[in-house]
Amino acid sequence: MPQSIFDDAEGMLAMLRDSVSTLASRQPGPASVRRKRAAGADTDIALWKAMAEAGLTGILVPEALGGTGLSLTEQAVVSEALGRALISEPLAIGAVFASTLLARAPASAERDRLVAGLVDGSLVLAPAWMDVAGHAVSARAAPDGGYLLAGGKRHVDLALSATDLLVVAAMDDGVGLFSVPSGSAGLSVETATGVDGAAIGKIRFDQCRLPGAALIAQAPTEAGLLDEAVCNARVALAAELAGIASRAVEITIDYTRARVQFGKPIASFQAIQHRLVEMWSDAEFACAAVVNAVETLRDDDARAGRLAVLAAKARAGDSAVSICRRAVHLHGAMGFTDECDIGLYLKRAISLNATLGQPEDLRLEFVNLERAA
Amino acid sequence: MAPATDWNALSDEAFREAFRDLVARRLPADLRFMRKQRPLFDEVSVWYHALAEEGWLAPVWPVEHGGMGLTPAKHMIYVEEWGRLGCPRIPDHGLGLIGPLMLEHGTEEQKAHYLPRILTGEHVWCQGYSEPNSGSDLASLRTAAVRDGDVFVVNGQKIWTTLAHCANWIFALVRTSRDEKVRQKGITVLLIDMTTPGVRVRPIANLRGETDFCEVFFDDVRVPVENVVGAVDQGWDVAKSVLGHERIFLGATTRPEIAIERLEKLARARGAFDDPAFLSRYARHRLDIYDLGSAFDRFAKVLRDGGELGADVSMLKIFTTELYQRITEETLMLAGEDARFFDDIEAGNDEVDAMNLFLDSRAPAIFGGSNEIQKNILAKAVLRLPS
Repeated sequence: MPQSIFDDAEGMLAMLRDSVSTLASRQPGPASVRRKRAAGADTDIALWKAMAEAGLTGILVPEALGGTGLSLTEQAVVSEALGRALISEPLAIGAVFASTLLARAPASAERDRLVAGLVDGSLVLAPAWMDVAGHAVSARAAPDGGYLLAGGKRHVDLALSATDLLVVAAMDDGVGLFSVPSGSAGLSVETATGVDGAAIGKIRFDQCRLPGAALIAQAPTEAGLLDEAVCNARVALAAELAGIASRAVEITIDYTRARVQFGKPIASFQAIQHRLVEMWSDAEFACAAVVNAVETLRDDDARAGRLAVLAAKARAGDSAVSICRRAVHLHGAMGFTDECDIGLYLKRAISLNATLGQPEDLRLEFVNLERAA
Repeated sequence: MAPATDWNALSDEAFREAFRDLVARRLPADLRFMRKQRPLFDEVSVWYHALAEEGWLAPVWPVEHGGMGLTPAKHMIYVEEWGRLGCPRIPDHGLGLIGPLMLEHGTEEQKAHYLPRILTGEHVWCQGYSEPNSGSDLASLRTAAVRDGDVFVVNGQKIWTTLAHCANWIFALVRTSRDEKVRQKGITVLLIDMTTPGVRVRPIANLRGETDFCEVFFDDVRVPVENVVGAVDQGWDVAKSVLGHERIFLGATTRPEIAIERLEKLARARGAFDDPAFLSRYARHRLDIYDLGSAFDRFAKVLRDGGELGADVSMLKIFTTELYQRITEETLMLAGEDARFFDDIEAGNDEVDAMNLFLDSRAPAIFGGSNEIQKNILAKAVLRLPS
């Protein structure tokens, strides 16, 4: 069945897949999703800590900073396996996006504290980079030193559970990344329920006062600050979506083989078989796109790497959502029940597909980048 | 014949360069980027003989039989450059089908007789598989070969026989016996000289107004028994074993790339890239090609690593043929009222064969096993779905 295929001479990738399987057998993804949803939570904190213990929050963190210093290949394999198992903790944002931001930040005590906590699971970091329309977050120097943050951030994963927020704020001369403890005065969080069951945060900063050391990175533009984190997170999201897509195909094959109508398994009917083949093929294309993104990023051509990542996130998102839609349909009325896991796959796919760019946006970015040459 | 070179020992880049050099020296300019997809033998014989003289005609045949003995990896470069440089397709059934068939199932006498005659162009082959009532259900074929002493007497009809009107030999599947339970049994591969009395060829015009394929009639055609390849009644397995790694090329990006080049030309001429609705649709096609390339690479890597292709490779064939259709449909849509023309339409200072490609794109989704048959095979062989 579909899977991203990388060279694995030393067996490291197989080991990582096994470690996610072990995790999933102890803490099954669908049950975790349902618990999280019932509690109105943004994370299953026990699961998140178990993931940190297994080394999964520090894959891209350099060894010098206490991580495992692995590459996007390993990250893609892990994210794909998490997607398959429907372990829906926001690793792509809370670990991949966050650790890329931190790893590129200049060395500082605050940066090192955040990285160490992310790796060992003692801290939960919530990157907050999207502004509430009309209320962009800005940071200005406070009269007595430090900074004052004002404005709002939206679509923040882990906003409730975070110990620390990583907030992108406009400054007089560029853009800054601020470390903001979650209990800070002048900071308030409200949430809405995400389609995948996890709470999504909206954060308001009302003259939130921060010490000077809270500014952990700066860049002339937002793109300069975020581009690499966005790129890595998109690869992780694409891999997770490819995993969801592949697993949804398998679940649907199993169901249609078991479901008997007119005296035969419905998987023996040609109309069903052709749909299953189309779904399988779409999942294969998603996996191939992920492999292409990871391998193209290994080379030096930055533009080619960007194109490959845009393509992979678009393809995997489209494939996952449309495969899950068809999977729900092929489950018949069962697929429409909350009790059936396939609906959870569909909802998770929709949420990840809408994170960091829907396929249409990504495709347009691709052709604009390509045609600009 | 050029002195034998160990082509596989060259670096990929050197090999590419050698092919480019050959094309620059030997391929006449008027044969490059031909509009005709399936030229007749005489129209491209200059190129055919040039390839033979240079030792480049049979890329995957073994060296001792006059081939280049290329690895699949080098063969992929050969095919890539062939397309990139606009080399015309040559009648290739002898090279691609009869050669491998002979090498695997032929007797020493058959190899010694037939293989050199393919290289010289003395024998031009066509493939007689489909019949009027046996298309997707090929095993139902009924063209009969009845033994009479040391000959088979053949009666029946083949159809969709590509380039039969410029071939002088046909390699046909014929029925030599009937097994009511297993229809694949009782089929035999027979090599038939088309100048034998009783063979008649009638070309069929296709939607593009060209005659790529034909009907072939057999009326008491007497064929020597030594023209059987492999065992009598076992022809199904013989024929099935022919296509190896070449199946990957059915899934190449070539046709969609040709189509999108035309679409882009027309879009530039008509300012369509400024239309957000067009750009959105264009982006989808462009990314489909890009992602097909990524998927193709996955299978190409299997070959480069020395592995063999599985049935799953036909996902590429389905995708590329449908994509080819979508892009040519887009081009017709962009043509507006010009989509009424059969002939090429204006695109700035150039012309675009919008209708030609649209019509051409109907065929690949059918030939080589229709996409629906491919899905049946994938359902069984890859997804293991029940009957």
